[in-house]
Amino acid sequence: MGASTGCFSSLRGDWPALVAAAHEVSSYAAELAALQAREFEGLLSYLDLGPALPFNDLSVHAPTKGLRDPAHLRELLERLPLGIETIVVHPDTLGDGDELAALGSRLIVENMDGRKAFGQTADDLATVFARLPEAGFCFDIAHAWSIDPSMALAGELIDRLASRLREVHLSSLADGRHVGLTDEHAALFAPLLSRCVDVPWILEAPVSAS
Amino acid sequence: MDSRSSRLSELTSGGGLAALAARSGEPLPHLMAARRRSLEARDAAAARLAELECQEDVSVVVMGSWGRLELTSGSDHDFVVLVGGSPRIAVSPTPAQVGEVLDKPPSRSGAFDGVAYVDHLVTRIGRRADDNDNLTRRMLLVLESMAIAGGAAHEAARRAVIETYIDTRVKDYRPPRFLLNDLQRYWRTICVDFEGKQRDRRSKDKWALRAAKLRTSRKLLFASGLLPVLECHDLTAEEMRTWLGETFAAPPVDRIADAFLRHEAYDAGVRTLVAYDRFLGHLDDEAFRDELRSLSRGDEDRSAAWVEARRLGRQIEEGLLALLFDRDALARLVRQYGLF
Repeated sequence: MGASTGCFSSLRGDWPALVAAAHEVSSYAAELAALQAREFEGLLSYLDLGPALPFNDLSVHAPTKGLRDPAHLRELLERLPLGIETIVVHPDTLGDGDELAALGSRLIVENMDGRKAFGQTADDLATVFARLPEAGFCFDIAHAWSIDPSMALAGELIDRLASRLREVHLSSLADGRHVGLTDEHAALFAPLLSRCVDVPWILEAPVSAS
Repeated sequence: MDSRSSRLSELTSGGGLAALAARSGEPLPHLMAARRRSLEARDAAAARLAELECQEDVSVVVMGSWGRLELTSGSDHDFVVLVGGSPRIAVSPTPAQVGEVLDKPPSRSGAFDGVAYVDHLVTRIGRRADDNDNLTRRMLLVLESMAIAGGAAHEAARRAVIETYIDTRVKDYRPPRFLLNDLQRYWRTICVDFEGKQRDRRSKDKWALRAAKLRTSRKLLFASGLLPVLECHDLTAEEMRTWLGETFAAPPVDRIADAFLRHEAYDAGVRTLVAYDRFLGHLDDEAFRDELRSLSRGDEDRSAAWVEARRLGRQIEEGLLALLFDRDALARLVRQYGLF
């Protein structure tokens, strides 16, 4: 388990401090999240310096906002150092083509929450993986819960995309925002999470002491 | 049938790779293709070797990727002529005759392309006489070997080695420590030798290819030995003989897949074997191999092939760790026997 740098909003833009904060949580895994295209430029500049990134598993969350088109996203992602082997993308930023196919297995596609028009279901994601056959799956369990609190959809995602699973995003949702995992959700999510113990779990919001 | 007997029956059901592929719907195309290629190569080699005299206690045994049924286009043809007794002058066929029959040379390792004597494998265990080649041959005979001539002699040799480990001191319902220690010694020897080779300037050129195999094939091979040995915890000493004899006759990935299935770790099992399947697919690609072969240490992160191999290696390791540490029955055994 590790943290997304998105947990540390007060440090936003200060990449050395964000990496240090994520490392305080875990040296096993971390996700460097830069959801605005402009913010991502700052991350690229930081990574160009070749900083020590002392994590066993490290992913970068691609920008989802401020993008002109999928070609713009590709241009940004191709500037990531090759050593970044996992890049989380949202399916609704990818367009209908295979613009990003050259990024191959470095890409992992995240399931979306109910606010998005596309990318929530296993069928939606199957169309994405048909265009990006090498890509993996990032399972955001709170997103799946937001669409189907019975967790049937979450179960279907794990059933159908088991072999592609590379990362779990872990949090609860309140008013569409990621918040720390509640006790109720911890219990509800546990059976499915037990099927994901071999991939990194990334906390998308601070967890309370309890 | 009491519960212990039914446990043996459950353990020996076998066929893990095909069962996991069927359960998951993942075709594992590269593993399956490599298996077909290995068996076709075995049949072709066996037909050619049939023209040579093969003494009754002699077998020609392939190891390495061929022995694992994971032959790819870049594989060496590693073999030994295995003699079921002590050293003697006249052995037939000779390694030179076998080398002429096989259309690819073995890897440049002292363990292959020679004669091995079962007496050495079973009497020289530990101490100075058990050199690196002897240890390697003994372990690979147990873990990843297949006969292309003299099948009965090969099977007798494999059973003799297993029997050496399951001697009278083995207790019922306790994993055989002798075998466990030798297995762990072999794995650690591979790891230490990898570093040793990096310090040898002449061997530096293929470090990335070696490292990639260490993180994937060799790690899986070790786990494919470790798991059956730990699971001896459920068996009497007599049942261990049956179990180890049968399970070590199966290819290593079948043993791995069987363990994931038995312990109901299907998801991690599928991801582990899909990752390995993908690695084998890459190994079958000359451009991928060449990129790893020519990679200098320090340039790792400039190589897409290395980054992919590293990622797949990590995925395999995480899958194995999930099996060993997140399933209660195995976690208890690893805790009890894994370190000390």
